[in-house]
Parts: sequence; C-alpha cells; structure tokens
Amino acid sequence: MTLPMLVLAAAEDGAGGGPFSLEPGLIIWTWIVFIALFLLLKRFAWPAILRATEERERTIARQLDEAERLNGEAKAALEEHKRLLANARHDAHALLQEAKAAADKEREMLLQRAREEHDQVLERTRKEIGAERERAIAELRREAVDVSLAAAAKLIGERLDADADADRKLVERYLAAMGDRH
Amino acid sequence: MQGDVDIGELIMHHTGDVYAIDFSPLFKWEYGKFLPDLHIGSLTLNLTPTRHVVFMLLVALLVFASMWLTGRALERQRAHERAPKGLANAMEAFVLFVRNDIAIQNIGHRGAAFAPYIMTLFFFILYGNLLGLLPWGATVTGNLAVTAGLALMALVVIEVSGMVALGFKGYMRTIFPAIPGLKGVGALALSVAMAPIEILGKLVKPFALCVRLFGNMTAGHFVILSLFGLVFLFGHVVAWRWAIGVGSATLVLGVMLLELIVALVQAYVFALITAVLIGVNQHAH
Repeated sequence: MTLPMLVLAAAEDGAGGGPFSLEPGLIIWTWIVFIALFLLLKRFAWPAILRATEERERTIARQLDEAERLNGEAKAALEEHKRLLANARHDAHALLQEAKAAADKEREMLLQRAREEHDQVLERTRKEIGAERERAIAELRREAVDVSLAAAAKLIGERLDADADADRKLVERYLAAMGDRH
Repeated sequence: MQGDVDIGELIMHHTGDVYAIDFSPLFKWEYGKFLPDLHIGSLTLNLTPTRHVVFMLLVALLVFASMWLTGRALERQRAHERAPKGLANAMEAFVLFVRNDIAIQNIGHRGAAFAPYIMTLFFFILYGNLLGLLPWGATVTGNLAVTAGLALMALVVIEVSGMVALGFKGYMRTIFPAIPGLKGVGALALSVAMAPIEILGKLVKPFALCVRLFGNMTAGHFVILSLFGLVFLFGHVVAWRWAIGVGSATLVLGVMLLELIVALVQAYVFALITAVLIGVNQHAH
C-alpha cells in the first residue's frame, strides 16, 4: 500500500477512521482536556514543584536590586566626597592666597611706616642740629665780642677809651665783617 | 494465520481512531457513535469520546498524578528540611529544564508567566507520545485532530499574547510591516502587499507544528507495524520463519528505542517552537 492509497483508505473510512481523518469533535476534546489539565496543574502541581526555585529567584532578584541600590548610593557618596574634597582644596587655596595678600599688605604698610618714622626722626634731628648750631653760633658770637672787647680793651686800654663810641663801632664793624666771612 | 492478514488494514486500524476501547484479546468494548452529530454551519462534529479521547484523558490523568505527587513529595522533603532526592528530585529537574531552558530562555523576561502553559504542553505531548509506545496504547499525538487542537491553541496563545504585549498598533505592525528605507505611498503599498504573506506566515507555523508532531508519531508506528508485517509477509517461508521473526523483532526493538528519543524530541520541539513564537511576538521587530 502506498501513501496515497492509505490516504484514500482513510478518506473512505470517514470520521473516526484512519490516521489521516480529522474529526472536529476531537479538536474540541483536545481543548477541553488540555485546558482542564493546564488549570489543574497550575493550581495543584506547578506551585509546589517550582516554589523553591521561584523563591530563590525572588531572593536573587531582591539581592541584585539591593546591590544595585547600594552601588548607586556608594557612587553618589563618592561623588559627594570628591566634590567636598575639591571644595576644600579650593577653599584652602583661596585662604592661602588671601593670607599671602594680607601679609604682603601688612609688610608694605610696616615698611612704609618705618620709612616715614625714619624720615621724621631724621628731619627732627636735622632741625635740632640746625637750631643747636644757630644757638652755638650766636653764643660764640657774643663770647667772641666779649672776648674781643676784653682783649681789645686790655690792648687798647692803654691808649683807647673803651667807652668811646667810635672805638666800639670800629670793633663791631670788624666783627660783622668776620661774621659775613663766616 | 498468514495470508489472511492485511497489514495495511492493520496499520490503519492501529493508528486510526475508533469508537471503541480495544484491549483485545483481553477486553474489547465497541460502544459506537452514541452522540448525535452536531452541525455548526458547514461543520459537522461529533463529541462522542473516541479511543483517543479516552487515552487523552488517561494522559492528562497520568501527567497530573505524576506532577501532583512530585509536588507533594518535594513539599514534604522541604518541610523536613531534607535534601531533595529520588524520583521527585529528578522530576523537579525535568520540570525546571522545561521552565527555564525552553520557556523563559526563549520568551524572555515574561517567560515565567507562560511557563505553566509550556510545561503543560511539553508533558502532555511527552506522555502522549510515550503512552503510544506501550502495548495496547494509542498515540493521541498521532491523531491529526489532537495535534491540530494543540496547534490552534498555540496559535491563539502566540497571537493574543503578542497583541497584549505589543498593543493594537504594535501588533498591526507584525501584519503590515514597516518597510525600511521607504516612505509615503511606496511604503504603504509594499506594507499592504506584504500583509497576506505575513498572515500566511502566522498560520503556517502552527500548521507545521501540527503536521510535524502528527507525522513523527504516526510514521514511527507505521515503521514498527510494517516491520512486524514482515512476519506475516514472509511467514510462509517455512525454513526461515524463525529468522524472519528474530530479524523483525530486532529491527522493531531498534525502532522502538529510536521512538523513545523521537517522543522526547518531538515534545521538546513542539514546546520549544511555541515558546520561540511567543517570544518573537513579545518584542516589536
């Protein structure tokens, strides 16, 4: 018997006959049986068999989520740390710069003041010296007049009258000439 | 005995479906078509349970019983905090293989939701295939109506799950595909032209599922019965009768071992392809 003959034989048998017949009622039966089996297994068998595995899967999934969350947190913390460190470095730098600027200013100011004081002292000293000299010169001049007069009086006493105005003027003229030369 | 046995008739009878329970010579009950034919439009169907319906119920019963007992044994082992052992542990590994490596792996992250369907499908087909290899057994998966029923169900699951996952618009894209590199009227025209091919593609895949399972299971029985038929064909050669018997039985043994593998492989293939097709419809492509 060849295959076409088999098919023919089956066709002759009609529904419920050979292997090549297709009885629609059996399709319905297949659905009924399969769906019933599916529901029964889903309700009574699969949960019991898969419980351990599904629990393990849930645990692993939870742990993975947790790990991811922690990783994210750690990353955020690291970023925060880096940011803080950068800020601190920046602040320190700024502080140092500020301190340096302040120190410079202070030094400049102190130097300035020192210089001014020095100038003042010098000025004062110079003035004092000048005044001292003026006084000494005046003193000297008066002394010189007196000495000169005394000397002249002694010298000329013999022949000049100290009280005579002409004589006195002569001497003073001479001294003035001396002062001019001085 | 030889001569009056028509081996073709025997094969047809063995692989075909009847309104009878046949365990001859122990027991035979021919109850006939006791329910009336139902007419729905042009379709005529009869819901009288055939031999294959009875075996299908037996398959369902065996699947349920084995899985239920496995689950109970596992729960008891877990309750006593004992290490998993024995047949229950093996069945658990088997079920987990179907769940993880067939369903979830091929469907993707929503695979767990479809796993009960794929697992039921796999074990229903596997038990049906194996039951057909037992003496007096009938191969329900070698019945075109049964495989057609399973394939139609797969078609509905694949397309409905696709519609749910992709939404109406996304699902329509699987019928009217986006044409890359084209815009406007050209793309529309080509898209519409592609629609019949896409629809045909959707229908062909379950059809292949149906015919593949039916063909594989029926062919195995054809081969086994044909090899047995050698006994009847050459039994009249008196001098070599014993050799014919031994040869035929040896060949049948080999094919039977092959059939064990085929039973597993076909259950695997049906479940796998169904899972792959569900998975394909889960993502827009």
